[in-house]
Amino acid sequence: MENHPSYSALSDVVEKYPRTAGSLFQAYNDILYAQQWQDVEVLDLEGCERGAIQGCKKDTETILHVVPCSLAETVSFAWLQTAFTLLSDPPEIYLAITSEDASIVYYKISRGIVKPPV
Amino acid sequence: MVADTRRIPLRVSNKKAYVWDVDDIAVIRSQHGICGILTGTLPHLSQQNAFLGIPLVLMPEEAVYLIENGVATFVDDTRAHIQPSTSELKQWNADQQENIKQQLALAEIKTTKDTTSGRAMSEEAIRKRKEREEKKREKAARLAAKADGPNALLAPTLEVEAPKVDAAHISPGRLSSSTVPYTIVIPALSSTFEWYDPSKYTYTTLGDAKTAGIWDYPATLAERARCGVFRGLKEKGFFMGGGIKFGGEYLVYPGDPLRYHSHFAASVLESPIASLRPMEIVAHGRLGTATKKAHLLCGWDDEKKEVSYLSIEWAGFG
Repeated sequence: MENHPSYSALSDVVEKYPRTAGSLFQAYNDILYAQQWQDVEVLDLEGCERGAIQGCKKDTETILHVVPCSLAETVSFAWLQTAFTLLSDPPEIYLAITSEDASIVYYKISRGIVKPPV
Repeated sequence: MVADTRRIPLRVSNKKAYVWDVDDIAVIRSQHGICGILTGTLPHLSQQNAFLGIPLVLMPEEAVYLIENGVATFVDDTRAHIQPSTSELKQWNADQQENIKQQLALAEIKTTKDTTSGRAMSEEAIRKRKEREEKKREKAARLAAKADGPNALLAPTLEVEAPKVDAAHISPGRLSSSTVPYTIVIPALSSTFEWYDPSKYTYTTLGDAKTAGIWDYPATLAERARCGVFRGLKEKGFFMGGGIKFGGEYLVYPGDPLRYHSHFAASVLESPIASLRPMEIVAHGRLGTATKKAHLLCGWDDEKKEVSYLSIEWAGFG
C-alpha cells in the first residue's frame, strides 16, 4: 500500500484509522482511476473513524461525497446520520461497500424520504 | 359520505383486530387512510383467494393508530355474546324455521314452473327413459341370475330406487323430513343477534384493552418502533401496506393503493444504534432499484419518540 502512487494522499487518515484503511484505499483508487472523478480529495471523518472521499463525476461540477465501508463491518442508523452531519449535510452521500476480493459497490443514501427517479 | 362521530368498533379475537361492517371499512379507508386486508372467503369456495370479503383484518399498527387517534374502539367480541334467554332462543328458532319454509316455498314454485314448461316435449322423453330403465332392469336380472350361488353376496343390488321427491306435496309440518336442500343463514354481523351486547366489553384506550387482556401491542421496543414509524409515515400522508413482497416491513404509497403505485419499501430500525449490515443496504437497495422503488430505512428513537428516514438507491456506477 505504501508504494502505491495514491498513498501520499491517503497516508494521514490511513495511519489515523488503520482498521478502515483497506476499504478507503480501495474506494479511493476506484473513484480516482476507474470512475475517473475529478478534484478528488480525502477528508477526515472523525466520528465515523475513517477517511471519506469528495470529488466530482467526470465533466460535472457538483461535489459528491463517498464514505467507504467494508462488507464485514456492522454499522448503524446513527453512524449514517453522523456521516451526513460531518460532511455538513449534503443531500446525499455515496456509501462505497468493499469486499475482500476487491469488488466494490456504491449505494446512494439520501436524507429524508426521497422519491426514486422515474 | 356522512361524517359521523361514532367510534368504529374493531372486534378483537385472539389479539387480532377485525372490521366486520363494510361501511366502517369504507370510513377507515377514505377518512383515515387505513386499508387493512380483506380476508373473508366463502364456506363452499374456501380455497379461492382472488375475491375476498369481510372481515377486514388490520395490521396491529393500523389498529393502534386508529385507537390512539380516538376514531375506533376495541370490542372483546367473545365476551360480548352473552347467554341468550329461552325466549330469545325460541324466537331465533322460529325465525330459522320461517326462513326455511320460505326457501322451500320458493323451490316449490320453481319446480312447478320447470315441469309445466317442459311437459309438452317430454312425452317422448318419458317413453325413452322407460325403455332404458326396462333394459337396465333386464340386464341386472341376468347378472343377478349369474351371480347366484357362492358370489350371491357380491351381486350388485340394483333394486334400490331413489326416493321419489315431489316438491308439490311438501307441507309446513314435514320440514324436517324434506329432502329438498335449503341453506342455513349465519349472519356475518354479531350485532344482529339479540344476545350480543358489546357495551360492557368496549375499550377506548390501549391501556384499558391491555388490562382487559385482549390486546397487548405494542409490548416490545421493536413493536413500539413499528407503531412509531407507521404513525410517522401516516402523518406525512402516506398509505401503508404489508411489505413482504419487497423484503421490508411496509410498502409505502403516496395515496390510496388502488390509485397509486408504491414508491418505497420501508424497513424499521428499532434504535439509532441497532446494528445494520452493509449487506442489508445492498440487498434492499438493489431490489428497490430493480422494482423502481427506493428503500426507506426508518430509524426510530424511543427516547425522543421520533422517526428519521434515509432513502437508499443504487448509485448507478461501480
